[in-house]
This record gives sequence, C-alpha cells and structure tokens, in this order.
Amino acid sequence: MPVIVEDQCKGCKLCIPVCPVDAFKPVNKKLVTIDQDICVECYVCVRKNACPFGAIQSLALSGTMRNFSHFLSDPTETKASTGVPGRGTEECKTNDVTGRTRIGQVGIAIDMGRPGVGLRLVDAEKVAMAVAAVGLEFEESSPLTEIMADKATGKLREQFLQVHLLSIIVEGSCPMENLPRVIQALREVEGKIDTVFSVGVISRVDANGYSPVLEQIDRAGLPRPIRGKVNVGLGRPLVND
Amino acid sequence: MVMRPSPIPYPRRGAGAVMTHSLHRSGMVESLRGDYVWFMYQAKGINDKNIAPKAMEFIAAAEAAGSENWGDVKSGSVLEFPVGEIKARVTDKSRLRGVFTRREQVVEFLEAIKEKDLGLSVVISALLDEVLPACQEAKVTPHTINYSLGVWGKKDLLPSEDVLAVTTMCGHHQISPRLVEKKVREVRKGRKTPEQAAEELALYCPCGIFNQVRCASLLEDQGKSQV
Repeated sequence: MPVIVEDQCKGCKLCIPVCPVDAFKPVNKKLVTIDQDICVECYVCVRKNACPFGAIQSLALSGTMRNFSHFLSDPTETKASTGVPGRGTEECKTNDVTGRTRIGQVGIAIDMGRPGVGLRLVDAEKVAMAVAAVGLEFEESSPLTEIMADKATGKLREQFLQVHLLSIIVEGSCPMENLPRVIQALREVEGKIDTVFSVGVISRVDANGYSPVLEQIDRAGLPRPIRGKVNVGLGRPLVND
Repeated sequence: MVMRPSPIPYPRRGAGAVMTHSLHRSGMVESLRGDYVWFMYQAKGINDKNIAPKAMEFIAAAEAAGSENWGDVKSGSVLEFPVGEIKARVTDKSRLRGVFTRREQVVEFLEAIKEKDLGLSVVISALLDEVLPACQEAKVTPHTINYSLGVWGKKDLLPSEDVLAVTTMCGHHQISPRLVEKKVREVRKGRKTPEQAAEELALYCPCGIFNQVRCASLLEDQGKSQV
C-alpha cells in the first residue's frame, strides 16, 4: 500500500499527475497525501518513483480487499487462481487452443471502468446482474466470477461491493442469437452506473475473417465494429469446432 | 465450419471521418492506421510448457520486422530496459507483446511465426480493414475475433478525446490523463520534443504495447492546437 511519509514530503506536487485515479491530494502547500479510499493499489507511483524525495513508501497490503484491488490493477502481478497477468483472463487470446468460445456461441467481455475511469465493484454487480438476467453464463475462470455469491444471478459477495479498482471484466457467453438481448440489457443498465465500460464481442470467424455475429450487431442497431483483436489461429493443438 | 463468405466485410472509412473507441485504442481512424499491437499467448494447462525458447523465437521475429516497442509485462519494455536484460529475464511464464506501425511489418511477423510453427496463440489488435488483409497476405487464417463495441456508461467521466487517444495506448491504463496533459504542455512550451515526451509516457506501460511513434505525432498535433 503506497503511503506518503509526511516528514519527507516537500509539497512539490510532482506525484499528483502520475496517479491514474487521482488519489494524490494536496493537504497544504507543504504536504500531499494519498486518499486510500480512492487508491487502487496499481503501484504506478511506486514503480515510477513518482516522488523525487523518496516520500512514497510501500507498506505491506493487508486484507483480502486491498490484495484483490492490487492484483486487478497492477498488470505486473499474476492472478494466482487463473495464472494470467493483467486482469487475469484470457478471453479470445487463446481461443484457438482453449475453445472457450465455440461456433454458434458468442463471448462477451464487458470491461468495467475502462478506459481509465475505474469503478466500485457495486457497479460491476449491476452490470453482471443485468446480463445474467438475459441468459449470459459467466466464465468460470474469471476473477469477477470468483467473488460472486451467486453465479446464476451475478450477485457479488457483499464485502467486495465498495472495492475500488482500475478495471475488471464481466465475462461470459451465450448463444449467438441472444446477443441483441444482452445488448439491450447493457443499454438499460448503462445509465444506472457511476462509471464507463468497454464492450467486446468474441466470435469464431471464417477464413475471410467474417462472423454472422456482425448481423446480430446490426440487428441490435449498433454500428459495425471497425476494430478488433484477431486471433490468427497459430496455437496448437487447434480447436476447430 | 460453414459461414457465409463476405468478400468485403469491413469497408474502409474515410480518412479522419470517424472517431472510434476500442478495447485498446481510441482516436481518429487515420491515426489508428499506424498502430498494430501483437501478442504471444500460451494457454494455462494446454501449451504452457517450454515457453522460454519459443519466446526467444517470437522476439527474433519481432526484431526482424522492426517492432517499434515490445516487452514482457514481468520485465518491462525495451524502451525502459536494455534489450539484453529483457531477453535474459525471459522464462516459461513470459507473455510477450509489442507494437508495429506498418501493415508490412505485421505481414512479415506473421509469415515468420507461421514458418517457425511454435504452437502459441498470436493475436493482432488493430483496425479490422488493416489486419484482415494482412492475415490474407501472410497466409494465416483468422480463428476468432474480439470485436470492439465501444465505450458505454457515464461517458462524461472520460477525459478529452485527445487525451484518450494517448492513454488508451496502455491497455492497463497505467498512464494518467493528467500526465498526458502535462506532456502536451511541455511540448507546447518547447521544453520537450514530441518524441521525448512520447518516450517518457511509454515508460509507464510495462507491457511494451504503447506506440511511442503514434504518440509523438499526437502530442505534436495537440501541442500546436492548444496554443
């Protein structure tokens, strides 16, 4: 947990712009402090030596919540349960060998708090519950799914709801023809949260890079996506179904 | 698999005509044309053994194609540490990724990796009307796409589009909007060149996918426009 050692702080404020979530707050002309309720434990300030006077020190993280925050917000850490760095999920990146998203299915990756806004997990719960209600099945190997009290409804364990993170992914899958319902659920919930989210739709494609999911996206009234992450099928053993 | 073929699935958009957000990158379309992120991935429990020598082959292919930035999230990027140091730290847990600025580099990289037949997953994140023709040229077959449906929710919390174009080049958002604004001010006042400011920002992205070439161009434009 990064903290300011008060008698080493000169109040120069050079640390303030380094923090991705604006947790550094000036107390007066000679002192800056870190709002621990806002800090997401990303450790950017520590890794990048944001204080030229060495006033930022790192204390051992205490408690499940602070550790959860840290592992999801610091990309140099690896989530032990999934074995994946970053936000601890592989989504489409290894789908050529995991077959996580099969033909006829779509994977949905709702990147909560992204880009760069951050979130309280209570907002991730609202979104998770909205998409669960229209049939999204959550990915088992996902950090958010691990803290759900009820994987059928998307309800999170109460003690996590106020945890502040840089981002976390609501990840699941459903039959392709259900995608418009998921999109409608997202439309309804987006006005009820105090953050942003980025949406990715994962689908198998043909040799031309085409997927009928694009027609479902049309049907939902959204513009055709122009950007994507393309898994080029070089992983082995290759999943073909 | 049988799916309806689509000869022109992703029509090109006009230069600068559309602002786009994506899971990884934001900005004007024409700016995004010089931006291709590559990833090497092993799948836990499936093909995650003996990764270090394969990772070295990926590095060789990326270097041969002239990857402008690359790194291993556990070690940092080549803009932060000497290349030899990053290579020396490669392990079976390494996850490599980097960035190209031209489609020709993507083609060369994919051809090389296909030839080496290393069995690890490869992902290219870019505009689809750039990356899919690159796949065709390199004779690799797209398997799965994660399509970006953009940003939703309380968008008034977002920084300006200019700032987002820079911050989203670190996918883990380790670069704060205030830091970008500071660098734009430094460029505008002539204290730093756009290239210097871009390389300083790149140091905050431990993965090595920050495109400092595109960033310098963005900072130069922003420095001029805010006078």
